[in-house]
Amino acid sequence: MSSHALIPRNSLVWLLTAQVVALMPHLPRLPLWVAVLWLGCAVWRVQIQRMRWRYPGLVVRMLALAAVTLGVYLTQGTLIGLDAAVMLLLMLFMLKLLEMRRPRDALVVIYLGLFIVATAFLFDQSIPLALFQCFSLLLLVAALVGLQQTPGRNDPARAMRMAGVLLLQAVPLMIVLFVLFPRMGPLWAVNAPGQQARTGLAESMTPADVAELARSGGLAFRAAFDGAPPVQSQLYWRAMTLSRFDGRTWSQSPLASGSMPRHWEPQGESYSYQVIATASHQPWVFSLRGASSDDERLLLNRDFILQARRPLNQGMAYRAMSYPASLLEPLELETQQRRLNLHLPEGFDPRSRDFAAELRQSHPDDADLLQALLRHFNREPFHYTLRPTPLGQHSNDEFLFDSRRGFCAHFAGAMTFVLRAAGIPARVVAGYQGGELNPRGNYVLVHQFDAHAWVEAWLPGQGWVSVDPTFQVAPERIERGLQEALQSEGSFLEGSPLAAVRYRNIGWLNNARLFWDDLNYQWQLRVLGYQSDRQSEFFRRWLGSADWQRIGLVSLVVLLLCMLPMAWWILRPARRPVSRQRRAWLKLNRRLARLQLQAATGEGPRAWQQRLMQTLPGQQAEISDFFDEYVRLSYATAPGAGEGSSRQLDLALRALLRALPRSRPPRPITLAGLPDE
Amino acid sequence: MISRLGGQTSVLFQHWLKRRIPAASQVRLNHRRIFIMPTRAGMGLLLLLVIMLIGAINYQNSLVYAVVFLLGSLFWVGLHHTYRNLAGLELQANGSLPVFAGEEAPLNLTLLSERREHQAIVLFWPSTPRRQVDVEPGLSTSLSLYYPSTRRGWLKPGRLRVETRYPLGWFVAWSLVDLDWQVLVYPKPLNLPLPGLQAGGAGEGDQLLAEGVDDFQGLRSYQPGDSKRRLDWRAWSRGQGLHSKVFAEPRHTSQWLTLEQTPGQSLEQQLSCLTGWVLQLEQRRRPYGLALPGNRIGPALGETHRDACLRALALHGVAR
Repeated sequence: MSSHALIPRNSLVWLLTAQVVALMPHLPRLPLWVAVLWLGCAVWRVQIQRMRWRYPGLVVRMLALAAVTLGVYLTQGTLIGLDAAVMLLLMLFMLKLLEMRRPRDALVVIYLGLFIVATAFLFDQSIPLALFQCFSLLLLVAALVGLQQTPGRNDPARAMRMAGVLLLQAVPLMIVLFVLFPRMGPLWAVNAPGQQARTGLAESMTPADVAELARSGGLAFRAAFDGAPPVQSQLYWRAMTLSRFDGRTWSQSPLASGSMPRHWEPQGESYSYQVIATASHQPWVFSLRGASSDDERLLLNRDFILQARRPLNQGMAYRAMSYPASLLEPLELETQQRRLNLHLPEGFDPRSRDFAAELRQSHPDDADLLQALLRHFNREPFHYTLRPTPLGQHSNDEFLFDSRRGFCAHFAGAMTFVLRAAGIPARVVAGYQGGELNPRGNYVLVHQFDAHAWVEAWLPGQGWVSVDPTFQVAPERIERGLQEALQSEGSFLEGSPLAAVRYRNIGWLNNARLFWDDLNYQWQLRVLGYQSDRQSEFFRRWLGSADWQRIGLVSLVVLLLCMLPMAWWILRPARRPVSRQRRAWLKLNRRLARLQLQAATGEGPRAWQQRLMQTLPGQQAEISDFFDEYVRLSYATAPGAGEGSSRQLDLALRALLRALPRSRPPRPITLAGLPDE
Repeated sequence: MISRLGGQTSVLFQHWLKRRIPAASQVRLNHRRIFIMPTRAGMGLLLLLVIMLIGAINYQNSLVYAVVFLLGSLFWVGLHHTYRNLAGLELQANGSLPVFAGEEAPLNLTLLSERREHQAIVLFWPSTPRRQVDVEPGLSTSLSLYYPSTRRGWLKPGRLRVETRYPLGWFVAWSLVDLDWQVLVYPKPLNLPLPGLQAGGAGEGDQLLAEGVDDFQGLRSYQPGDSKRRLDWRAWSRGQGLHSKVFAEPRHTSQWLTLEQTPGQSLEQQLSCLTGWVLQLEQRRRPYGLALPGNRIGPALGETHRDACLRALALHGVAR
């Protein structure tokens, strides 16, 4: 590559294609003018190549750079941080087109492209994107190969073929490196990419304001149990407690996030499971009641809920163990906690307070009162719906005594209110309920529409007890899931007509959905989740120990075992191109050898033909057909001109082979006709 | 001091190279003769990979890891492909014609590949521009490289660098081959008036000479060394074989050329002057002889004679 060379057209073709492909995954996150800018730059560059336009001058380039930087600043609000950096990089990637004169500039663009392909994974790690980026890499490598080709060779497909071969040959070593390269923790703290929309649970709930609850069919998390999973009605996935109530909204208390160890007694059956949470950009993780985990990234907060130390900016897999029947804080409740969980704002819901007082009078025992309240939800005509009536100032009063229509948040909020008013410490627990078992991968799939809220009340001697008023109203919601509960209403996933989950009743579609989900699950678990803990688990399983010396030694051996055959394969001697006549000749002679007929060394085709015709008088016609064709092709045609007629040779050969006897002819072969050499 | 040390190492290197890749007119590149190193582009890629790896570690991102490892193994695969692109290539030096000093000496070369295609093979000497060729399998590719000649005598271009960066440009595989080329470089001709000819007499002599050429005597069968200008093409086209026309010898006396006749100050200028005269006399078809100290070539005419004279001039005082 001399310094004065121009960029070959081969390379430019792939470069421009690769650029648009590499930019594509980023475009949805970026404003429209970015796409317009790329188009402008690309058109300009093509016009330069066609010698219609000229390269922009220094002033234009500086202005463009300044304008683009300003654009990034206006879009992102800052120039610091990952998002702004990636966007700026994308801009440079486009603008560099306009000063790409020499192969060296093209190299810079290709390297920027490689970087941009990698950064797309910071924002999305799905299987489709991974496949798409393989394609981007292929195009970038093709551009790289095109850069090295001899200029004037107008053959972009060849560069692409070479790039494909190179990448395929690189795959085995990549896999070995991926598995063996030691994973470590972050070198320094980094900001999460994206002020992306947080998904999943909200931090607070205000049931009174909701006129229609839209729920998505998106995935919240998956959980794989070591043994059989509990029945669906017991799958209460706890994510947070909402203890603060301001008269309308239930929200988290900052007190909950402390990690002081509380007293609890594991009891009953235990479940060991692994949860693979999707990136929610929130700190919630999901566990069953009575959970504990060895995972360093998690902590158990004082409300007995597992929480992540940092928001889940990417998928996260963790193991936990739960005793759902445990006693939580059974001995006594701290004063501060008691006050928090009994607090009700003044001036709201007088009728509910009266109702609580009535209940208290008839049921002096806390446990009795709790049961009575649940019975109340069961007996009275409450209706489970995702289209509740909006409620006014005294929301609990209106819900409990007037509208009686609502979803889990209404029931849980109202029940907690009444319990508190009756002097029983209570709080709302938010999380997910239920899940769909994927029989293919034997794991439970929990969707966003499985979000749920229920109630925890503190009873002396029993500690915190979980109760679910929704179960009293709509048991099918708990036992069989939301879709069943809403069958008559038809409001299940109304907002997303294309969500595959909606069509669970269509057999093949459901199978396809579950298959795709299993694929994603394995991807999440085995590929995306392959970090230090899973890696050491992997080593322990295969090597028996996680001893570093042993791992190092085995890694070295495996690397060599992968690299040496690969090197040999690449450097293997190329096959000498064999002409078609030669191949036909060899094929015929192999077949004749079975009849114990062999051409003598140096015997020409005509002599050989003579001999054959004498020994095989039955096949004389076929033999002479083949040899006539052979001789004509080998000696009478210009080399390379016999493409069409060599098909005739093949035909003649096939006819001859078919005509030859299966085994040695019964008549002994006389060698009398052998011509002298 | 340092430069002396550098000079010594370079001498040692040349010596080592001579043993490793001895001079031969035909060389097949193999692992003993090929060197390979990452290029700056390759180092740049490694730097990029380190940055990406840090990103993968910090963001705990498996797919960024995967990209890093894929490019890393591509780097390793590229190493073998670059080597493979050069290995097995055969270089064969073909004969080369003499040139006059100052001209570019054409060095003929054939590249052969038995089985494999070799793409983007770059050939050059440190002082010459690069020449890039593709070699198809089973075919031979012939080309001429040009090497500037500066001095008369034997021109021996140094080792030819054969290199390739194909396919990825991350590695450069090269070999330094000595194809044992040597080109005879005649002195640069100077066009000075011939000695012993008056300004007017020159024209007269030309006339005489012209008559002499026209003094056609007959034909004799062609012998190697006969001037092409005297071939009887007409007879040849009639299929009567190759014949040379024979003319009557010009009647004037032949001319001896010596160093003493030349006006130049230095030996090189004098030889250049003699070269010019040889060419002029040959063109005018006047027999000439060359008398150099220690080398006498009797008067004659013809291309063979001219070449012998030019060769004597080129090699005068040059140790073989």
